[in-house]
Amino acid sequence: MAEAGILLKLRSVSKSYGATAILHSIDLDVRDGEFITILGPSGSGKTTILRLIGGFTQPSGGQILLDGSDIAAMPINRRPFNTVFQDYALFPHLTVEANVGYGLAVRGTPRAEITKRVADALELVQLGPLGKRFPGQLSGGQRQRVALARAIICRPRLILLDEPLAALDVELRRHMQTFLKSIQTEIRTTFLFVTHDQEEAIAMADRICVMSAGRIEQIGSPHEVYYRPGTEFVAKFFGENNLVPGTLGPVEGTTRAIDTAVGRLVCSIDGQPKIAALPAGSPALAVFRPEAVGIGDAAEGENRIAARIDQVAFGGASTMVNTAAVHQSQQILKARLQSRPDGTSLSQGETIPLVVPASACRLVAA
Amino acid sequence: MRFADRAAPALLITLTLFVFVLLYGPLMVPIVSSFFTVSHGTVDWSQPTTSAYVALTQNDSVLSALWTTLIVGAGAVVLSVALGTGLALYYASPNAKGRNFLQFIIFLPFLMPPIITGLALLIFFRQVEFERSLLTIIIGHTVFVLALVYRTILTRLQSLSGSLVEASYDLGASSWQTFRLVLLPNLSSAMAGAAILAFALSFDETMITLLVTGTQSTLPVRLWAMMRLGFTPDINALVALVLLFTTALCLIAVRYLMPASAVAGSDDN
Repeated sequence: MAEAGILLKLRSVSKSYGATAILHSIDLDVRDGEFITILGPSGSGKTTILRLIGGFTQPSGGQILLDGSDIAAMPINRRPFNTVFQDYALFPHLTVEANVGYGLAVRGTPRAEITKRVADALELVQLGPLGKRFPGQLSGGQRQRVALARAIICRPRLILLDEPLAALDVELRRHMQTFLKSIQTEIRTTFLFVTHDQEEAIAMADRICVMSAGRIEQIGSPHEVYYRPGTEFVAKFFGENNLVPGTLGPVEGTTRAIDTAVGRLVCSIDGQPKIAALPAGSPALAVFRPEAVGIGDAAEGENRIAARIDQVAFGGASTMVNTAAVHQSQQILKARLQSRPDGTSLSQGETIPLVVPASACRLVAA
Repeated sequence: MRFADRAAPALLITLTLFVFVLLYGPLMVPIVSSFFTVSHGTVDWSQPTTSAYVALTQNDSVLSALWTTLIVGAGAVVLSVALGTGLALYYASPNAKGRNFLQFIIFLPFLMPPIITGLALLIFFRQVEFERSLLTIIIGHTVFVLALVYRTILTRLQSLSGSLVEASYDLGASSWQTFRLVLLPNLSSAMAGAAILAFALSFDETMITLLVTGTQSTLPVRLWAMMRLGFTPDINALVALVLLFTTALCLIAVRYLMPASAVAGSDDN
């Protein structure tokens, strides 16, 4: 049965080459109209997922359902998806116009319609005047946009983007992120975007699917995966973070205590039934972001940790402070504090009271 | 030390020149002597003449051998380019089975001594009672040049990004459309280069031809027959012409086989 709002479903999809398993039983729903990003380090299987959906490789097991029906037997050229390849794969012997119009031409679309739709597509990606050029005469960013125009012109149900910004320099990449997102909003087509770049994923995606070693670690909004990591891997993957190991204490409503080397911390377990279900005494990690850490007296529902300042790094708007907890252990805690315009700074060796709200502190299984 | 610094390059230059003279000097002899007449076993150096070339144009057996050579070359080129392209496409396809064995089979006739290839073909044609004719020469030459054609086209095919073919399918093209609209245009210059090289190889192939020919003679076979009757200026003229022709073909082939980036501007940013 087709489910409303779900375009594509992956059910227990696995892929292995010989004895090497690339993907282990992947379950993933792609919602109609969303910008979903598959994020993971190289070798995590993210590109394999894209290639399985595109039909370039066949799954070893499981099902890929489009509108509720299995597309295993559907050849690449019949799938209503188009791909933006990592190396763009523009046809070097064809002009920009012919490249963009290729998908229409092979379907026997009347020439007048091709001309019109190619012009529209080039207009959309802001390449109007370059139609007569050859791909070899374009810059990286321009080629990128030709590849995008070529993929959207056939009005696919889903556009697959395989690390399309990887070859661009930082500034152009930022620009293209905004550009891609605005195009996606404008044409309201589902985008499945594969990348290894966390910032890129956070900047563009409606939902992020974090992968590691052929498994899905977590699926959620950028805010969720950033502030409410489901696993240790996700907690470590998005930039600097505090991970404090300990053993689980009792559950109290939507919070749970964890006993760590820096004392007992109370963490939110809202929406984490798995953590709530673990028996007391199980090993776990308390996770909180440096920007969630403040200085001062702890109020109700906040954790207080006394720490000695080790390093202070002024970073403009914020100042990164590395501290060592004053306790039995030398647990390093990072705090990103708002910089003070008057220049009064924290000095090394000073002991300060760190405060972490329970709502900003999460638990992941160790 | 300073003496050695200066002496070493001079020595190398001398050595290089010597090698070149050794390699290419003999080639100059028939070319030069083709412009002089021979009487009573001695070359008359006093007066250059093109009479040997004029005589060739009136020599019917040479002209008909030339015609045979052209037909054989054209036939072998068409067959080997068609086969070579198909085999290269097969080799490069992701699901190809037994590709290494296939490649070995393709290279074998090219790497074996021509007399072995020729004899094997001869024995085969006799066993299956296939009468020796123009067709058997064409088959022999195709077998011989196929490896070169195949390798040339495969090299170009492998230099193309694999995602070009995937992109074509992804955009809805059939395999025939992908071949015609994406692969063929990108392979055509390699195919042209391979065709010219194959023609050049076929043009002066002698050993296999001698063995598998029926009554026809190609130019080199004709030359071989003429030499048995002694060296005459028209043999020199013929050698000079064959040399000129194959050299020209090779020069043209090199143009086609240059990487696309070296011909049509860089592909980079």
